Amino acid sequence: MADKKGVGHAYNIDFLNVVFAASSIFLLLSTIWMVWDDYDREWKNVQRRFVNLEIQVTQAGLERAQRGVDQNKLKTLETGLAQAEQNIASNQQKVGEIQSQLGTVEARLYRESQAAQFAKATYDQDRYEFEAARVAGSSSAARMGESVAAQERELAGLNLIVEKTTAERGALLKQQEQFTGALAAVQKQIAELHAEGTRLDRRLDVLQPSVLKDFFRDAPLLDFMAPTIKIQQILLPNVVDDVNFTRVAKMDRCTTCHLAIDRADPLYEKYPQPYKPHPNLATYLASNSPHPMDQVGCTVCHEGMGQSVSFRDASHMPSGANEEEREAKQIRWEEEHDWEEPHLWDFPMLPADMTEASCAKCHKSEVFVPRADKLNVAYATFERAGCYACHKTRGFEDVKKPGPILTKIDSKLTPDWVKTWLRNPRAVKPTTWMPRVWYNSNSSAPEDAARNEVEIDAAVAYLFANAAPHEPAVKSPPRGDAKRGEPIVKSVGCLGCHAVDEKTRVEAGPNRTFGQPLQNIGNKTTYEWIYNWVRDPKHYSPATYMPDLRLTDAQVADVATYLSGLKGGGGDAAKATPDQTAVDATLMSYYYPNLMPFEDAKAAVSKLDAKAKQVELGRLVINRYGCYSCHEIKGFETTRPIGTELSEEGSKLVSRLDFAFVEGIPHTSKIEWFRTKLHDPRIFDQGRVLQPLDKLRMPNFDFADEEISRLLTAIMSFQREIQPAQAMPVKTARYDYLVQGRTLVHRRNCVGCHIIEGDGGDFLKLVSDPSLGPPMLTPEGARVKPDWLYAFLRGPITIRPWLEVRMPTFGLDDAGWNGVIRYFGAISNTIGPFQTHEVVSASVGADAGSKALFDLLKCQQCHVLGAIPKDQPTSNLAPDLRMSAERLQPDWILQWLRVPATILPGTRMPAFWPDYPKSYYTEMGGSAEAQVRAIRDYLLTLRGGPSPMQGAARSATTNNN
Amino acid sequence: MGLLKGTINALADPRLYFIVAVLSLIVMVWKREKVASNAFGYSMMGLLTAFFVFGAFDPNFQLIIGKPDNVPIIGLIFSLLFLTWYAMREAVRNDRRIAAGKGPIEKEESDRVWVWPDLVYTELISLVVCSVILIVWSIVLKAPLEQPANRSVTPNPSKAPWYFLGLQEMLVYFDPWLAGVVLPGLIIVGLIAIPYIDKNPKGNGYYTFNERKAEIVIFLFGFVILWVSLIVLGTFLRGPNWNFFGPFEYWDVHKLEALVNVNLSEYIWVRALRTGLPGNWFLREIFGILFVIVYTFALPPILAKSAFKKYYEKLGPPRYYVTVFLFLMMMSLPAKMLLRWLFNLKYIVAIPEFFFNI
Repeated sequence: MADKKGVGHAYNIDFLNVVFAASSIFLLLSTIWMVWDDYDREWKNVQRRFVNLEIQVTQAGLERAQRGVDQNKLKTLETGLAQAEQNIASNQQKVGEIQSQLGTVEARLYRESQAAQFAKATYDQDRYEFEAARVAGSSSAARMGESVAAQERELAGLNLIVEKTTAERGALLKQQEQFTGALAAVQKQIAELHAEGTRLDRRLDVLQPSVLKDFFRDAPLLDFMAPTIKIQQILLPNVVDDVNFTRVAKMDRCTTCHLAIDRADPLYEKYPQPYKPHPNLATYLASNSPHPMDQVGCTVCHEGMGQSVSFRDASHMPSGANEEEREAKQIRWEEEHDWEEPHLWDFPMLPADMTEASCAKCHKSEVFVPRADKLNVAYATFERAGCYACHKTRGFEDVKKPGPILTKIDSKLTPDWVKTWLRNPRAVKPTTWMPRVWYNSNSSAPEDAARNEVEIDAAVAYLFANAAPHEPAVKSPPRGDAKRGEPIVKSVGCLGCHAVDEKTRVEAGPNRTFGQPLQNIGNKTTYEWIYNWVRDPKHYSPATYMPDLRLTDAQVADVATYLSGLKGGGGDAAKATPDQTAVDATLMSYYYPNLMPFEDAKAAVSKLDAKAKQVELGRLVINRYGCYSCHEIKGFETTRPIGTELSEEGSKLVSRLDFAFVEGIPHTSKIEWFRTKLHDPRIFDQGRVLQPLDKLRMPNFDFADEEISRLLTAIMSFQREIQPAQAMPVKTARYDYLVQGRTLVHRRNCVGCHIIEGDGGDFLKLVSDPSLGPPMLTPEGARVKPDWLYAFLRGPITIRPWLEVRMPTFGLDDAGWNGVIRYFGAISNTIGPFQTHEVVSASVGADAGSKALFDLLKCQQCHVLGAIPKDQPTSNLAPDLRMSAERLQPDWILQWLRVPATILPGTRMPAFWPDYPKSYYTEMGGSAEAQVRAIRDYLLTLRGGPSPMQGAARSATTNNN
Repeated sequence: MGLLKGTINALADPRLYFIVAVLSLIVMVWKREKVASNAFGYSMMGLLTAFFVFGAFDPNFQLIIGKPDNVPIIGLIFSLLFLTWYAMREAVRNDRRIAAGKGPIEKEESDRVWVWPDLVYTELISLVVCSVILIVWSIVLKAPLEQPANRSVTPNPSKAPWYFLGLQEMLVYFDPWLAGVVLPGLIIVGLIAIPYIDKNPKGNGYYTFNERKAEIVIFLFGFVILWVSLIVLGTFLRGPNWNFFGPFEYWDVHKLEALVNVNLSEYIWVRALRTGLPGNWFLREIFGILFVIVYTFALPPILAKSAFKKYYEKLGPPRYYVTVFLFLMMMSLPAKMLLRWLFNLKYIVAIPEFFFNI
């Protein structure tokens, strides 16, 4: 550059050289960084690590497969193989000749068929052109037609040649097979024996590191062409994502990292996430399960952003039994995966313990979904807490008001007790679902006490002023003996719905808090009321679900005496004694400015006397707090409930929730908002300046953490319906019966005593031996005849007199009972009242052999046959066999005799034919099936057992009168 | 520390912010001899850097400057201030030379054009450096994505792309038809018109201030104050509900600002004349309409005879009227701002009957 010096430079070129060199180096480095950044993506590393795991598992599988090969069979086959080979060797010349001919013929066939294919392609093209020209009326059409006809003839000739050569080859192959057929057959058998091993071996070959794979296909910068590490995705045309302006087919890429999610090999279980297989593959993901992976995908249940392949953007959410566990997991994720509170997707993944909330997307309005235990207990808790009463919720519209009626409160309670109760219900009954309306976090300041007391007094005044007169059926009933009453209460079945000794609702469970807790009931009401209630609950409350236990009057007196003796301290005393000015001020605050102008309000207040002020204020208070949502109260029959509708609460956007001044929870998490709200429903008033009537008014249920996580699951299950009909389960009558029946047995708390479809049976935990408790009803539809069941449900009879627990009379209507019977039929798939008659006619002819076998098996040792067998522990006793003909389904008896323990696990009924179809007994030619049938036929000849049928007939007659 | 942050928060109030920005411009032009020194330039950049470093320790400030969307605006602050200062320094140097009769520096080299290797080489280096910046940026900063758009949920705050935030700020003071249509239209028309209006050949190809005082001051006011500083304000200081937040304040959605603005007609009829508003909209708004007519049509001739007499003579009537019209339109924004801040004035002309407000 020396020669240019004369002109000079604007810049120092040497310096520019340095800058250029430096920036070029930076460009190189940043490009390397860019390539590395792509190569080092999270999911790629996950797949790289998975290859090692898969090699381990495959190797283990290979060893297992090799060990599993039948060595004897292999030896035999190998001998056969040697023979076949020898056979070929001895005809070597002939075989060689055939093979060489075959080679020539096959080469010719290849040439000829190619010629025929080319001729066909040309012919097709020319034919189309001829057709088009002819339609267009072109002058050259005729000439083209001739050419096409010639081509057609030529093609036919070529095809004939191919056919001929094919036949020639067939003949040669047949000749060859005479010599080599045996060998091929043996080889095939050996290959079949090794099939699993060969498959795994091939898989291993693919998985093993190789130069081509590691240094070329998956190398940085080259891995865009044909990498082995690539994104996996499930495309679901029937399941959609709602992206607000349109709905698009779901595309789940979760399996990019969760590579072993549908692998059944148990070895994968011990690997860490994301390599764990899905739990319960028989229900989820497996191709023969009800939720196959290629039709259901992942995020329709788990939520989250299925398209994303980064841990963070997929919106994973930490789960855990408690706050500490969740936090620990979150911190770990933040370190390992740069996790942050999801904000890229409106519906982040449900924490793993709430995933069942999504069952409700397809299992719509189903109170009970089999195997969804978390969802089931969530709905049970939601119903028990009565959430649906204030918050309208799809699927819960027709549920009865959860609280007792208050229209006759005067004859049941005293104002003082009600006030104490209202101040803090859980101080009186620790397991009650009645929430605390006053003295909450936004109304517990000392200056709130007077207003609280005024409102409590007023609400009570309104209730008592509007109570209807009630005449007890038995006035001044006789006293009984509490000592006799206690065992009745504890054994007859009361505890299936009521709790006495339990200290928390979680301990008692949702089924046993179905009825009001019996704690401190003696303080609550009078002996007379309890006596009348136990005797006939419907006399006081016609719509109550409390059934009739058919106790004698003496037993009723004993029970009532025991219950009225359940007294304890408890209850909060008034924290202020408000005067009339406080009442006036409170009433004024309700009137002005919400209802009327200041002067009108003043006039309205001064017009009323002290008592009327109380009642009027009570009306306003009840209206504000929505007491009528749960309780029947006069004057509020048609008032709408006060809560936010929850039907689609799970789909609510977090931006619709007001976090106010509450710190310490992420303001991007819907679940945390709900959790905080349920923990303290008034917490979002914290730090705000509010007029009394502007304060939040949801009462406090003192939910335990366990209950809160259940309710969160319930809330998250209330989703917008966006999935198309073709994604839903197929509707059948049987399915409808199941859904309706499940709803009924849960809403009526049948599951408080009975186990049905694996759920419930809480009362069984209170009896010493399960065989002394209420029976398991899952097989009931297969077991008993529908007409017997109908009669029994209408008027239960005693089937096992030695049991203390008894089936109450529920008084459902025919629609209800038919629903129950159809439900049981639907479980066992035996819907339909008609039974084959042949069975009964066969049983008429039961011969003496049957009787002999019956005696041999000593059925009478445990089963009642007129008289209850003596010298047997009560847990061994079994129902009267004389009921069989009327009660049991003939086919079920056979099944029961064959495998009792499969039908009722833990039953005392012995399996007489443990090696079915073999038999210990020599009768009937030693055929187990013949013996089973003989016993069944004999049982069906027995008559004269207790029957509900007469009772039903009698009650029908009574009804007719 | 808290006091310092509180002071900065208070200074960042849009009113003070705007006034401080205008004052800075005035000081920079007035004391340009001092401003042009390297010491001033480097200490200014140092102070700015120190401010951002100091602020980065504050969680709220961190949230705002750390947003991937906002990072370019930080670059904009630095580059804009640096380039303004640099231009001023060069101008001052040339002005000194011109005063000494030596002519601008650029004049000495006007016989040469340094293309090879200087221009081509620096272009190549720029290309390489920009590539490095873009690559590193794309690796380090996350794409500022949000959840899928939802017609029933508007993001809060809803912000225009950064280069339109100045326009969005105008929406606080004007109705959309003005702030979104008429004024931006005039900006474009004005930019097109500049070569035809400005026939002053001085400053062509070299830095100078003294030879183009009015032009440079108007440009700096229009671009740096009304355009860029409003972008900065819109990016960093406008939070949820378009409320104002200081740089160290938490963006609380619940924050409220009292809106107690009144229209000119209410001032005149209700407050001054103590009568009710006339039912007829024309009568009601007559004062505002007259004001707008005077501002737009009567003010230019008046100015031509008084304050702008010199320009009127220099430019001639057609150029003068176009220039003054554009100038008045530009000045209508600060005028409206001042009226709002001083008198809580909402609209000069408010005709809700057919959605016409000025």
